Order: sequence, then structure tokens, then C-alpha cells
Amino acid sequence: MWNILKTFFILEKSNKKNIFAFIFVGAFVLSLMFFVKTEDLGNPIKEKSGEFQSVSSALSKFQNVDATDRGNGSDLYKNLVLQQRLISTQSMSLKMDRPELFLDAAIELARLRANSFDLEGFDGVASYLPSRIENEFDRVFYQYIKKTGLSLTTNSLSFYQFLAYLFGILGSVWFIFISIYSCGIMIEDFRHTSLIKGYPISFDKYVLGKCISSMLIVGVILLELFVCSLPLIYFQGLGNPSYPIAIFDGVFKVYPIYKFLGLSILYMILIAIFTILLSVILNVLLKNMYLTLFVELLLFILPMLFPNMMNLVPFNPFNYMNFTSILNGQTLEFENPVDLNSTHGLIYIGMSIAIMVVAVKYFLTTGKLKKI
Amino acid sequence: MMELKNIGVRFSGRDVLKDVSVMFHSGEIIGLVAPNGTGKSTLMNVIMNYINPNSGKVILNDELEYTNKKNEVKIHQLVSMMPDQSDLYNQISGKEHLKIYSSMWNSQPKLIDETIKELGMSSYINKNTGTYSLGMRQRLCFAMQIVSDTQVMLMDEVMNGLDPTHVELISQILVKKKSEGKTVIVASHLLENLEKYADRIFFMKNGELIQVNDISPGFDVREITTVRVTDVTDTLKENFLKEFPKTNVQTLPNGTTLIDVQGYGSGELGNVLAFLKANHITEVNFGKVTLGDLYSMYYQEG
Amino acid sequence: MWPYYKFEFYQFITNKKNIAIYVLLLFFSCYYALKIAPTYDPIEKVDESEIEARFLTREEFLNTVVINDGTHHFTRFAAAIFPEWNVYDKGRLDAIKQNDLKEYAEATNKWYGYSDKMIFTRGNGVLFYHPRYYTFGNNYATMDGHYAYLYSASRYKGYAEGNSKLSINVFEERTALQTLQRLLHSYLPFILIVSCIFFTVDIVLKDRRYPTLLQGLPLSDWKKLIVKGAVSLIGSIGALVPLSVGLLIIGIQSGFGDFNLPVPIYFSAEKTFSNILLGEYILQNMLIMIFWFLFMISLLLLASVTLKNEFANLLVGCAFVIGELTYFGRGNGIFWDVQWYPTSYVQVGQVLSGYRNYLYNSEALTIVNGLFVMGLCTGIFLFFTFLISNHRKFKLL
Repeated sequence: MWNILKTFFILEKSNKKNIFAFIFVGAFVLSLMFFVKTEDLGNPIKEKSGEFQSVSSALSKFQNVDATDRGNGSDLYKNLVLQQRLISTQSMSLKMDRPELFLDAAIELARLRANSFDLEGFDGVASYLPSRIENEFDRVFYQYIKKTGLSLTTNSLSFYQFLAYLFGILGSVWFIFISIYSCGIMIEDFRHTSLIKGYPISFDKYVLGKCISSMLIVGVILLELFVCSLPLIYFQGLGNPSYPIAIFDGVFKVYPIYKFLGLSILYMILIAIFTILLSVILNVLLKNMYLTLFVELLLFILPMLFPNMMNLVPFNPFNYMNFTSILNGQTLEFENPVDLNSTHGLIYIGMSIAIMVVAVKYFLTTGKLKKI
Repeated sequence: MMELKNIGVRFSGRDVLKDVSVMFHSGEIIGLVAPNGTGKSTLMNVIMNYINPNSGKVILNDELEYTNKKNEVKIHQLVSMMPDQSDLYNQISGKEHLKIYSSMWNSQPKLIDETIKELGMSSYINKNTGTYSLGMRQRLCFAMQIVSDTQVMLMDEVMNGLDPTHVELISQILVKKKSEGKTVIVASHLLENLEKYADRIFFMKNGELIQVNDISPGFDVREITTVRVTDVTDTLKENFLKEFPKTNVQTLPNGTTLIDVQGYGSGELGNVLAFLKANHITEVNFGKVTLGDLYSMYYQEG
Repeated sequence: MWPYYKFEFYQFITNKKNIAIYVLLLFFSCYYALKIAPTYDPIEKVDESEIEARFLTREEFLNTVVINDGTHHFTRFAAAIFPEWNVYDKGRLDAIKQNDLKEYAEATNKWYGYSDKMIFTRGNGVLFYHPRYYTFGNNYATMDGHYAYLYSASRYKGYAEGNSKLSINVFEERTALQTLQRLLHSYLPFILIVSCIFFTVDIVLKDRRYPTLLQGLPLSDWKKLIVKGAVSLIGSIGALVPLSVGLLIIGIQSGFGDFNLPVPIYFSAEKTFSNILLGEYILQNMLIMIFWFLFMISLLLLASVTLKNEFANLLVGCAFVIGELTYFGRGNGIFWDVQWYPTSYVQVGQVLSGYRNYLYNSEALTIVNGLFVMGLCTGIFLFFTFLISNHRKFKLL
């Protein structure tokens, strides 16, 4: 095993692809910082004014009537009026810097909204309000903040806050990146068959070595994400690693940033192994790196094109390749909601990896490789 | 020591190898001589198990066979085939190629430097192979196999693209490997060169492996058995047969005429020489049948 | 050069990767035509019941309202603006009931113009655009509505004045050509540019597998590169063929529309819309698209001769496609000279219709600037490719 790793080390060291991958990842992190800055993400005043308008326009669907408890407006109307009032309170409390007021209003708002979902006529105003899932995220988030007494305002460019955002974005594109990176993993070897075929090592060991060496590079890339973000500590501060992020893993709950990062990295490592193995198998079958890439991307977007498939085959590992959408509970918002659970995702991906390893071990061999 | 037992390979209804059985011993250089497309590479591929034969088996050291993947790995640890020069990695240096082979076969690291020195490659070994000439690449491929240091070495067209100096150099290394007890199987078209160091030479025809000794029994006898003459006209041949009626005379497709003088004394040889001189033949060669003659006899007739 | 062109072209169309791209494009265009296009649900649609409900409510209000000293100022305001508004709604309602589409277009034009004037300038928290703009999380709903109403006003003016055959499908922009227009406004440019990247990514580097075969051709490296670029350009334009299959399907389902339909263009200097013909708009799009192809091809040729790595080509190409994300933001045209970055023109349809100017709050994202910037970059890329390929130590393979 050590022999083949040494061999791969010699080859990967000279492979320009890795250098370009490192440059690209570095550039990606830097431009994301830029993006966060220009988009003014996490500016609550801007967000609240948008929310106010949404509720106002929901109210415009009703006639203006007495909104007091004894008034003759519908329950939903009263609920919306209260919501509007609370949003105003929030805007005000932001401008006057009274976070505890904001927090109480936010929790009350989430409670009101949770009630509103079951009221008559809700479907007519649904698009102006956060979905049930978004509201649940708000609820657990604000309750946690209230409980721990953490500060509401955060600098989204501080080290940990930025990392949380970065890994959230990466969760959606990681599979695509690794597909592009690994789609030619064996094709390069097929151009050197007379060397490889004779190696005194079995094909599964060879693939294992290949995976380990590729995974080491993936590890370097993961490390690079942290290293590239380090300057933020100097310019924007460290941030709080235990600041909460609301996620869904079967139930709605908050993860501190460090736990979220840990889960993301675990997912990313498993997805990377999965994709690399898939590339190996597709390379051997299709003998073309672009066809491999297209098939992988197609498998990736197929569950999005046909969401009903997710209900039918919840164990399809490709349902979980965009793990940010799993943690965001996006699959719960489909017409036919699917309860995709991030823990199950890890298990399914792990099982797929095991199946592919077995397939490599029993169906593929170096000896029969054809030169292309 | 390696044994091939009843190997048969058929490609689309044609027998490429037909019931080939042969034993290769340690400390032996085997020459394989055959025109292109007669199954040399197929034979080597069967030995490496790159092709599954339709029948028969390869047995290494009386015990190892290609019965499962584990054994394949074990056999590949002991049997290697020279890589193809077009398969080298252009972006890494020759030295790194040698390091790869050395580490893959777990051979002595000092072999790398020794081989570089022996083959005179030190001036370019640290450059990327993308910059190498054909001969340099060929030498690197040879060096890689030497570094792998396996018990059996298969070399297809090892002398391709090499200048005479390097042909000589590599021949010497082959002889050295033989003395170390390796089995070296060489396919080559440099017949004279092969003749010099190969212990046994095989021709291949119609899917069969034929040892040269069987066609020409006197081939490896160390005495004068044949007089080789060029530019012999038909009339001259007739006159010669009138003069020496008991002698075998054969003209080969390559223009050489062989006069069989096996068992002749000095007097008789003198008479033959006198006859040829009298008929203004200038190129006369006393010795034995060369591999080139046999090749011509065997493959070019008809 | 011609035989080499034919040779390259043959290689191009037999390349498994390129065939796969065409097949994928065909798949997606059919998927779009059969699955996505029928579910298209525009906000500004022809909805008789919606008009009628609004008209009747307001009519009732106007009939019953009594204005005196104690009247709330909102009520006064409503009583002042609803009569004219209702005239237009009545016009629309009558026209649609009599199926007089020309008349409907005319009334609708006036309705949108008046509505926007009221909502945008005097709405102030009581009047709203169509509620579907105010979805949760959209902080720019008013701006979106403003643009959409002015756009619709201009569009209906075009329908009223033009001589195209009108239908509900035309009004709701469902016909094949209008679907093309909408797609050019959204992600079709991305698909075309990404296809072009995939077509070009290996066109130089694939030859490295057979160097001896091709090194000796009696053609300079520069000319070979140009021929390869030309083949790639033809191939990229050929990507329209599988896509047009989807348009054909849409055309059969909802009509084809015609090239004389109006396309509203936003002029940010005057903050107004004016119409051009759909044919003209599509031609302009094609022109910029071809400049994009040229840009990408020359960029990838340059990357191919300098970086010599397919993976790097792919990353460089993609970086230019997504580059705009790093600086895009509403109103950012004030702080940035976005018109000088080629990446600002990626949304080809949106640039040409003036929507990008509207978003950036800029006036300079025009077709002329676009062609200039893209052309200049293409020229620079080609110039460097030329210099490098003519360097005496340069090896193409």
C-alpha cells in the first residue's frame, strides 16, 4: 500500500491540476468575502423593511376593519395585523438599539405565525409570509439566543460567521467541484496502461491508493478554506464559534457554528469519497472524462428535476449531495414533502461507498485495462 | 522458472497460439523471433495474464498460477514486462519513473543509481521525459524494468530505436542479469545481436513455438558446418553439384547460398574453396548457419 | 487550411463529449418544453375575474362614498383616483368580454401606465403593485413591480399599435418566440456559454495524445489555433439546433408568435421604455452571443497555450461565467464602472432589454459598450495567443 502511495505522491506532485484547484479554491474564498461585503448580508434593518411590506400587502387583501379582539375581522386578519405591529416594533428596536425588545418581538412573531398557518384563508396570503419551515428556524434560533443571552448583532465577516456562511455555500457546490476535479481520475492512468497493468498490486488496492491520495488533496483543500479565511481574524475579528445556526436534522434545532462546521466537513469528506469512487467506476465503464462528468451532474440534478423521485427512493445518495438544502429543510417544502434527514444522509452515502468499494473489488481489474 | 502448458489463444476463429508448451529456466535468456503479427506480443500478454488464454496455463516456480487476483499480484511481483515508451509520464523526470518502479516492486533503492550509471543516463535523468528522444525513452523503459528487478523479465522490442553502442550496452546488462539467475525473454529483430547472447531462440509460426535447434540441428554446434556464399548463379550451382555431388546446396530467398559442409575435413573444405575461387566468387564465409539465414529459410520461402 | 478545417471539424463532431453535449441540450430543451413551459405562470396575466372583482369593488365604493369635511384623507384620495382607474378597467373588461384583443391591449396599456403612476408616485404604503411581487424575503418588491408595470404598459402599447396577430398566449408571452425572449432574459445565455466552454475546453489539448501525427502538418501553430477556434464557434452556434427542437414543441402547443411583436427596452437615462421588434431583439442577442462565443473561445485558446491543462481551462471559463456574482448588487452601478467588465454582460437578454441597467442603476450597459468590451478582450486574448504561438520556443503539443 505504501508503495502505491509513494507512486501517487510523485505523480500528484507534478500534476498541474492540483495547483489550479488550489488557486481556484483560494480565489473562490476571497470572492465570497467580497460578495458578503457587497451584498450587505445580515443587515437586519433592510430585511425587516422588506418583511413589513410583505405583511402590508397581505393585509391589503382584506378590508380595513376593527382588528381588536372584539372586532369583526377574521382571525387571520387579526393575526396579520399583530404581525405587522411586531415587525414595526422590531424595526424600531433595531434603530434604537434595544436588542431585548427585538428578541421578544421575534419570538412572539414566530408564535403568531405558527398559529396563522392553520387559520382559515391562509393559502391566500401564504406567499407573503415565511414558510412553516422558515418560521420554525426563526423560532428555535431566537429562543436559543434569548436563552443564552448571546448578542443578536454579529459581523457576518468575522472569522467563524464567515466560515459558517462559506460552508453553507460549499454544501451546494461541493459535489460539482469534486466531480469536475475527479472526473478524469482514471482516464489519466489509461494513457499509461503498460506501466500500470504490470504493477504487483491488485486493482482494489490501486483504487484505494488513488482515493487516499486524492482525499489527501481534498484534505489540503479543506485546510485551505480555513487558511484563506484567517486574515478575517485580523481585519474583522474572530467571531463566536458557539453562535447558533438553525438547522433541520429530523427536528428543528440549533447547532453552534463549530458543530455545524464539523457536520459540514464530515459530509464533505464522505461526498468526496463517494464522488471519487463514482468517477473511478464511470471512468472504467465510459472511458471518457467528460461523459463521466455529465453523467455525474445529471445524477446530481435528476432529484431536483423530478422531486417525486425523492419520495420514491429516499435512499438515493444523490438526494443528499446538496447537503445545505437538507440542513435547510428545503425538501420539506415540496408539494410532496420528503423528510430527508441529515443523519440518514450520512448513512446512505456511507452505504453507497461500501457498495462501490465492493463493486471495484469484484468487477474491476487492472489487467484488462485498455489503452485509450 | 516458468512453464507454459498447452496455451491456446483464438482471436475471431484464428489460432494465434496453438497448444504452446514450453519451459523457461532461471539464468537463461530466451530469444523470440518472428515477423510482426505472429503472436509474440500475445504470448507475452498471456504470460502477464493481460489476455486470458482459451486453454492452458502459466505456472511459475511449479506452484503459482493465475487462478485468482491474489496470485496475479504475486506473479506480477515476480514477472514484469517492459513498459511501452509512449506510456511514460511526460511531466515527471526519468529518475522519478525509476523511483516509482523501485517502490512498486520494493527493490533495492541503490539499483536506481547503478542502473543510471550503467546505461549512461545521468546527463538527462532529472529532466522531464517529455523532452526525451525516442532512444532516451527506450533506454528509460529498459532501466525501469531493470530497477524492478523481477525474477522473469519480458522485453518486447527492447532494442528499438537504439544506436549500436547502446545495443551493445544493453546486451551486456542482459548477460549480467542472466548471471544473476534471471529469466529474460527478449523479442527482437536484431538477429545477429540476439544470436550472441540468447541461450535458446524460438521462432513462431502458425501459432506454434519452434526452437531453432529443431529446424537446424547444427545451429549451436561450435564447428564449421556451413559455407555461406552470395551471388551464386544457377549455372554455377549446377557446376558445383557436378563437382561435389554429395553436398547439400540451398539458395535462400535473401540471396545467400548455403553449402552444407558438416563433417568435412580440411582437405574437402580446401577443395570447395578452390572451386569457388576458380569461379570468381569473392564473398565466402566459413562458419555456421546464422539466425538471419534461418529466418530467411523459415519465413521468407514461397 | 481547408483540409485541416475539415479534419478538425470531423474530429469535433465525432468527439463523444460533444455528442453528449448536444444530446443533453436536446434532453433539457424537451424537458423544458414539455414540463416547465406549460407551468409558466406569469404575474401579469389576462385574468377576467381579477379585473372584474377589482372593478366592481371600486365601483361600489365610488357609488356609496360621501365626501364631506370629516372624510379621512385616504378616502378622499381613493375617491379622486379610482374613477379614471375604473374607466381603464372597464375598457379592459368590455374588450375581453367581446374578445376584442386590440381594444384590450389599448386599455391595458393605459391601465398599466396609470396604475404605475399612482402606485409608484402616490402609493406610499396604501397602494400596491400586484401582490405576487411582495413575496416573503423580497426586499425590492416595489422596484420589481415598478419595472414590470412600465414594461407591461409599453408591451401592450406595442400590441395595440402593431399589426401582429394577437392572442391570450401572446399577451402572456407564452408563444415560442416570446418564450425564447424570456429565456434569453434568464438562463439561456448561461447554457450557451457553458456549452461553448465545454466544446472548446479540449480542442487544443486533445491533440497531445497524438503529437507525432499532428506536429508535422505544414501549418503554423497560430493557423491551427485559428482553425480550431473556428470549428468551436461553428459547433457552439450548432448548439442552437437541439434547443430549437424545444421551441418547435412550444410553438406547436402555444403558437409561434411572430418577429414583429414588441419587446420593451428600458432606457435608464430617461427612465422610460420604448419598443423594438422581437426579430431585432433576437438578432441583437445573437450578435452578443456570438461575441461571447468569440470571447470564450479566444480566452480558452489562450488558456490552452499557457496553462496547458483541461481542468484549468474549465475553471478559467467558469470563473468568467460566475464572476459577476462577486460584485453584483442592486444599485452597484453607482460605485462601480460595471460596464467595463466583460462579466457584466453575461445576462445577454437582460443587458439588451435594459433590465441590468435598471438593477445596477447604471446607464452604460449598452449593446455598443458590450460589443466594444467583449471585442477588445477577444482581441487582447487573440493577440497574446498570437505572440505566444509565434514564440520560437513555443510548442503547441
